[in-house]
Amino acid sequence: MKKRLIRSISIAVIGGLALSLLHVGKASAIPAFTRAYKVECSTCHTIYPELNEYGEAFLKNSYVYFGKGKKAVREKEAAAPAEIAKPAAAATDVKGEGDADKLSKLKAGAMGASGATASEPAAEATSPANGAAGGGEAKSEGLLLAAIPELLPISFTASVQGAYDHSQPNEFDLSSRVLKLNAGGNFREKASFFATYVAYSENTSNITNTTSTTPANNSTNIKELYVIWRRAFDTPINFRVGRMEPKLSLWKSSNKLSVTNSFAPYSYTVGVSEFTIQQPQDALEANAILGNRFFVAGGVVNRKFQNAKEGYGHISCKFGGADYLANEPEVDLAKEESIFDFLTITVGAYGYYGKNGTPNTTPGITPIQNTYYRSGVDMDILYKLFRLRLAGVLGDDDSSNLTASLSNVAPVKVKSYVAAVEGEFTFLQNLIGAIRFEYQDDGRGLVRRYIPTLAYGPLENVKVVLEYKHEVATSYASTPTSVAQDFTNRIGTLDVTFSF
Amino acid sequence: MRKHMLLIALFTLVIASVADARIMAKGRGAKMNFDPDSIPAQYKAQFDLMTRKCVKCHTMERTVIAIQTGRAPITGQPFERQAVKAYGIKMLRKPDSNMNKQEIRDVVMLLNFLLGENAK
Ligand code: HEC
Repeated sequence: MKKRLIRSISIAVIGGLALSLLHVGKASAIPAFTRAYKVECSTCHTIYPELNEYGEAFLKNSYVYFGKGKKAVREKEAAAPAEIAKPAAAATDVKGEGDADKLSKLKAGAMGASGATASEPAAEATSPANGAAGGGEAKSEGLLLAAIPELLPISFTASVQGAYDHSQPNEFDLSSRVLKLNAGGNFREKASFFATYVAYSENTSNITNTTSTTPANNSTNIKELYVIWRRAFDTPINFRVGRMEPKLSLWKSSNKLSVTNSFAPYSYTVGVSEFTIQQPQDALEANAILGNRFFVAGGVVNRKFQNAKEGYGHISCKFGGADYLANEPEVDLAKEESIFDFLTITVGAYGYYGKNGTPNTTPGITPIQNTYYRSGVDMDILYKLFRLRLAGVLGDDDSSNLTASLSNVAPVKVKSYVAAVEGEFTFLQNLIGAIRFEYQDDGRGLVRRYIPTLAYGPLENVKVVLEYKHEVATSYASTPTSVAQDFTNRIGTLDVTFSF
Repeated sequence: MRKHMLLIALFTLVIASVADARIMAKGRGAKMNFDPDSIPAQYKAQFDLMTRKCVKCHTMERTVIAIQTGRAPITGQPFERQAVKAYGIKMLRKPDSNMNKQEIRDVVMLLNFLLGENAK
């Protein structure tokens, strides 16, 4: 009896401590998913926003925490043989020591006592898994029926940058400040959403003297805004609609260590066309995880004043490592270490086909159009502390200068070849270095870039990134109309980014 | 016959001693750990290893709570034998976890033992 009392008390203490730990986590301020799922940044990120395997799985799973969904937990419990499931089951019996129900109640109580708002304990207790597992408080029925997330799923990311460019008159410039809002989550695992809103980015165009002018705001913009119908009709297919980066390359554009340098294969343009692979588009996409290790996506892009739709497709496959549902690979712990225990290779291929130019919806006016496609392959190799990314794109534009045969300027056909290779090394969990080489033959000339990056995360939600870009251009026309010439750019950037 | 008796005696002894050896937790917050005195001698080495290695990225509290509640505190997933092994594999593969297969195997064995104890 006494033992039980001691145990109950120790559970209370543990609960309280666990809670205060969570509180500390919260005080250090971390974004929407962290708040919603009570996980640390490093669950899904290396140094954010670069994703690790689990972050990638979370993304592919439409922002439903793998294993945390009602279904997943049910499946897991069903899959576990009775004997294996025993400890978990035992945890809910009368012994008390492992009573998850009681613990979460105690946690909830402690939270209330520590002055948290009344809704917080419920949020903690009603994360899907707890609900499914029968532990925790019931979420208020109203909120449950409304399918509204308990915590406002919004977070902010801010960056402050300084740049050093020897060739500029103002060599060292506190070059830019950016403030972004991110929102994301799911509604009862049936639908998900994600949005990125650029609230502020630097606009210096109106500064003509230095008397006392702070840079104005560029127009604010929605970079991403989409909803996903998860597992439509109980199939593995998710439908995503809205403004999004079409699923083409293996990595979302933000999924990298560098803060200022996009990967050239995804960000280069041809002629006067503004199309890039990572450009947000207004699209409808269907995607699905198949057989745990394949991911397929295909979509249709809508362009204003154009009645012809554009289309794209993606397929990728992962060998080794955790699968796309975040299940760990089968590793025999009794056997000697082998490189296959640590080797993860992901390969992807994609294609995009479109037409752009002047509107083709104006009656009586022949549009001037550029028909183009991009096809690319990517590879991501992870081995212990090493990571290697390879990306290559082949592009074709049949009228990159957007002239029709009726004008006297001939259309300029361009075949573009752009590739990047980046090696990354994890020195410490919060200190990662990378070096990238890029080759860009985009029809305007040739550019080679060497980009070393060093990122350090003193806290999980604060990072400092030092990067350098050495860009060598050979008979390159910087703009579609300028004269081709050789030049070299050397730009160093120091960035501080924090999220909350 | 005597052999049998001996075996039975040994068996009851083991059961009894194990049943008695409740795994208690000690300390608070960052200092929380299983009480070293409640860890049987044959698991001492593994326990020391865990106490040294598994605190690199977070405290022992997580592990203690996972064992005590049967539920992983961060992800909320059931923390049973299968999950322990999966978690071990995850740790093995985490860059910078700085643990090799042998060490992971030892910690997994220890955690399984602790789980078993706690389920009693
Ligand atoms: C490289 C850093 C690192 C090391 C070393 C490490 N952990 Fe973790 N641990 C994490 C992170 C990050 C999480 C958060 C959730 C996740 O990533 O699974 C975590 C979560 C946990 C959890 C909660 C899991 C959940 O799903 O809620 C347990 C239990 C745990 N660790 C036990 C251990 C044990 C036992 C060891 C030693 C074998 C260990 N950890 C070593 C980083 C680490």
